[in-house]
Amino acid sequence: MRASVVAEKAGVRTVSIVASGFIPQARSVAKSLGVENLPIAEYPGVIMTDSPEVFRSKVDALVDQIVEGMATPLKAVAKVKEPGPKDVVFRGTLDAVQDHFADKQWTDGMPVVPPTVERVERFLKFTDRSPDEVIGSLLPEKRQLTVWNVAVNGVMAGCRPEYMPILLSVADAIVEPEFRIEDAGSTPGWEPLIIVNGPIVKELDFNYGSGAMRMGRRANTSVGRFLRLLFTNVAGVRIPPGATDKGSFGISFNVAMAENEDACAQIGWQPFSVDRGFRRGENVVTVQSVVAVTPPMYTAGNTAREVVRTLAEVWGRGTCGYWAFTGVMFSKWCPVLALSPSIAKVIANDGWSKDDLRKFFYDTVKMPAGLMERYASEAGLTAFNLRRLVEEGSTPKEYWESDDPNREVRVFVRPEEIGIVLAGDPDRNQARGYVNNHIQGPPVSKRIELPAGWERLLKESRG
Amino acid sequence: MDKQPRHDTLEPVFEVVWPLGKAASEAIDLRPPVSDLSGKTVGELWDWLFKGDEMFAHIRRRLQERYRDTKFVDYKTFGNLHGRAEREVIAALPGLLREKGCEVVITGVGA
Repeated sequence: MRASVVAEKAGVRTVSIVASGFIPQARSVAKSLGVENLPIAEYPGVIMTDSPEVFRSKVDALVDQIVEGMATPLKAVAKVKEPGPKDVVFRGTLDAVQDHFADKQWTDGMPVVPPTVERVERFLKFTDRSPDEVIGSLLPEKRQLTVWNVAVNGVMAGCRPEYMPILLSVADAIVEPEFRIEDAGSTPGWEPLIIVNGPIVKELDFNYGSGAMRMGRRANTSVGRFLRLLFTNVAGVRIPPGATDKGSFGISFNVAMAENEDACAQIGWQPFSVDRGFRRGENVVTVQSVVAVTPPMYTAGNTAREVVRTLAEVWGRGTCGYWAFTGVMFSKWCPVLALSPSIAKVIANDGWSKDDLRKFFYDTVKMPAGLMERYASEAGLTAFNLRRLVEEGSTPKEYWESDDPNREVRVFVRPEEIGIVLAGDPDRNQARGYVNNHIQGPPVSKRIELPAGWERLLKESRG
Repeated sequence: MDKQPRHDTLEPVFEVVWPLGKAASEAIDLRPPVSDLSGKTVGELWDWLFKGDEMFAHIRRRLQERYRDTKFVDYKTFGNLHGRAEREVIAALPGLLREKGCEVVITGVGA
């Protein structure tokens, strides 16, 4: 639909072919880009499960719709009066507020902290930025993200006011064009993951040990929840009865992951934030998409080779292997491996750096080329073909050395894109792997800017 | 105070603000309808998904049966709407549509 709107703006009439289940989303995207009734030709049903005969007859039926669509006069979206930032939009008891927010789809399904002006203003004390500052606008609904509405959604999520610098850095990250928030409603149903580094982890009591990814610690939980509320309320990504979130199943919000930087220092590894280009000791957030998580991976042994082989099999080949075609197709793919410090220690004590670990995965994790092509086609990338991609020059030559579908190709195209974070129970030999959704939500990192008088403000906030 | 007790209940009452942001979309010039594709140039925009290549081939045949002198600019001309260079492809669209003389466009496939 975005391409159709660009074409319409260029003075060319369009009709967009959309399968039934995606029409509400298509209409919603077109509306937020200014056209009330951008013509759509509906393919009824699920394209990937229709027989060739059924497919042909349905495509035949599209032709009349295309002709009719071209002949339909377009209507502009009527301007609607909207509330100002401090306008009271509802007045009621706690239950009434929950019901109102649920009716409007301004919530994630859990009770929200009512965002009163007083509560929002407490958050604003923790930034030197103006509340009116427009940080950017978020598709698909194309609404302005401001310092004010960051605070509003932070209140709603149950954050403490002193989390505001982190919330703003997260907001700064997701407005970056490379993050591609406009793809947040795609069918893989990816969910953003926030990774926090720096002294602020301890200052604000983030959990980075046992239960690192569980709900339970206020900082991790509410900061993670805040981002999902931002996706819903400012980007406009909503499940039914909304139309813009087409995650077929989706996954629910990730609590923020905080890195155990003491453990990094103990084994001589740099923290994730330094991998991302920052200095050790800086407060940094990274936001990226996650589309799958491995089972808990237990590894044993006291040499690097012993402990990494299961990670290669389960996370590398098993989980990442299934989604590897996206890394090839989109030329950017940043899965993350979260290691318990106990596992990282074994690897580091054997003389391996993080880059050595990345290289190990790059060198050893492979899959049959035919399987990669099949997985891609079944996901809808029916034109995915390694030979064509190599001939176009977008994919390394080694991905097409023959037409043998059993030839082995690398799962990880670019080892430097693999993220490695130390977190989780240091007293257990476990790791978890996360798979990212290629160019939709690549990692974007921002320094967390603290307000003047941070220490004093923090003390005051804690009474 | 962010809550005021009502006279008929002990429950606090909250006055809440809007969690959304101001709509930022711009007005768009709407083009008139096209009722006859005879003599027109039709562009094809494809996201390289969901058998769009087969769809476009079939649609092209049917439209050529129905209309005289309809020309088609196929999707390969414009590039993949869903690939790694999606943004560059979309940015180049207005110029390319003009250059190729496209008066209408069929876009696919959303699913």
